[in-house]
Amino acid sequence: MPDKKRKLHYYPGCTLKEKTTHLDVSTYAAMEILGYELIEPKNWTCCGAEFPLNEEKIIGLTAPIRILRQVKIEGGDKVFTVCSFCFNVLKRANEAIMSDSLKHKRINAFLKDDISIDRDSGEKTTDFKQYNGDVNVLHLLEFIRDWVGYEKIRSLIKRDLSGIKVVPYYGCRLLRPKGKMAIDEPEDPSIFEEFLENIGCEVIDFPFKQECCGSYLSLSMPDAASEASYNILRSAKLSGADMLALSCPLCYYNLDTRQDRIKENFPDSPEIPVLFFTQLLAWALGVDEEVLGLDQHYCNPRTALGIDESEVKK
Amino acid sequence: MRIKLKFDENEKKFVDRVSELSGENIYSCYQCGRCSAGCPFAFEMDILPNQLIRLVQMGLKEELLGSKALFLCASCFTCQARCPKGINIASIAEAARDLIEPKGKDYFGPEEVPPELADELPQQALVSVFRKFSK
Ligand code: SF4
Ligand code: SF4
Repeated sequence: MPDKKRKLHYYPGCTLKEKTTHLDVSTYAAMEILGYELIEPKNWTCCGAEFPLNEEKIIGLTAPIRILRQVKIEGGDKVFTVCSFCFNVLKRANEAIMSDSLKHKRINAFLKDDISIDRDSGEKTTDFKQYNGDVNVLHLLEFIRDWVGYEKIRSLIKRDLSGIKVVPYYGCRLLRPKGKMAIDEPEDPSIFEEFLENIGCEVIDFPFKQECCGSYLSLSMPDAASEASYNILRSAKLSGADMLALSCPLCYYNLDTRQDRIKENFPDSPEIPVLFFTQLLAWALGVDEEVLGLDQHYCNPRTALGIDESEVKK
Repeated sequence: MRIKLKFDENEKKFVDRVSELSGENIYSCYQCGRCSAGCPFAFEMDILPNQLIRLVQMGLKEELLGSKALFLCASCFTCQARCPKGINIASIAEAARDLIEPKGKDYFGPEEVPPELADELPQQALVSVFRKFSK
């Protein structure tokens, strides 16, 4: 008899459903093989993308707390995300109401008056309990390390990735602020390297792995973001990598989608494939190429993955 | 030689409000410069992150408002991870922006988004840039 799938809450966030669908789809595909049925909290909304750094912008905490409360209402005690920004906002909002009783009181006072209308059935709910910060917010890299275990992953590997040289790119939101994210040591992390090694890649170290890619400045100060992203891509290439792996859709936008804009400013900018860590995971676990969304990339990752182009169905 | 800084009420109130809103102790910065050494956008800034803190310490609102640096912070928290005092410049910059941005005017608002990028822009980039730079 096949193993019963374990239910697990997953918060995708807005970008994954519209723009970087390959991050979402590869997460579902990989998690199914690992034995999980993913549940998205009912009626989820955008988390706000940015944790408010102004202590009085309390309203910015209501969306993430509402999402976490929904997980709790549905009987979940943990939720994971793959987007580094969502992870940062949910985790910090949770911490904020646990460590600050005034914030806890004020957010719950806001949420008490919520009326939730179910998108499918139209049914109204007004009877909400208060939320006390008791849902554990995890990033998938952390969930794999601490809950699934690398051994389990290794036992399910179907493809050999041993010739592929990968640089892990952390960016800013996974590890910092120091003392708040606590999934790894911000100045000397290893969680991403360990993950890549355990799915069979050859991991290459490079000095720009925690450097910021420009984040939202790619809209407001595009030249500054291009230069920051160029430095990262160049460093990755100089380190001898075949590809760069990351987890954040905004980093992906800056480092992959915008590669043509970067080239305008820096003609020597290298073409280097940029993949989500979940695509590599799903690939290692034997998921079909079509599911990985390889056509969505600016820089074609097929060769780097060892896929023979002539065999790709037209 | 000792230089005595004199604050008027207005400036002192500003420094106190920035401390309150950011949750950071502005005066604990001793100008070592580690933040500026690690900041990935220092190369584009007119004043360095440590100088930004200095302007806040001195309550120099006009100079702050005129500085490009205030709008170049990507909230990457590299400074916070490296500062010997754990000071988070991103929070200080956000508090300062919120206090002194000209009323009713966005630094970067929806009308500034190039329409030709509409199809490719991740929602996350739009939401975060507006959260940082518009009212
Ligand atoms: S690293 Fe910290 S103490 Fe040193 S100048 Fe920057 S903010 Fe001040
Ligand atoms: S948070 Fe802002 S000031 Fe600090 S290192 Fe990052 S960009 Fe520079």
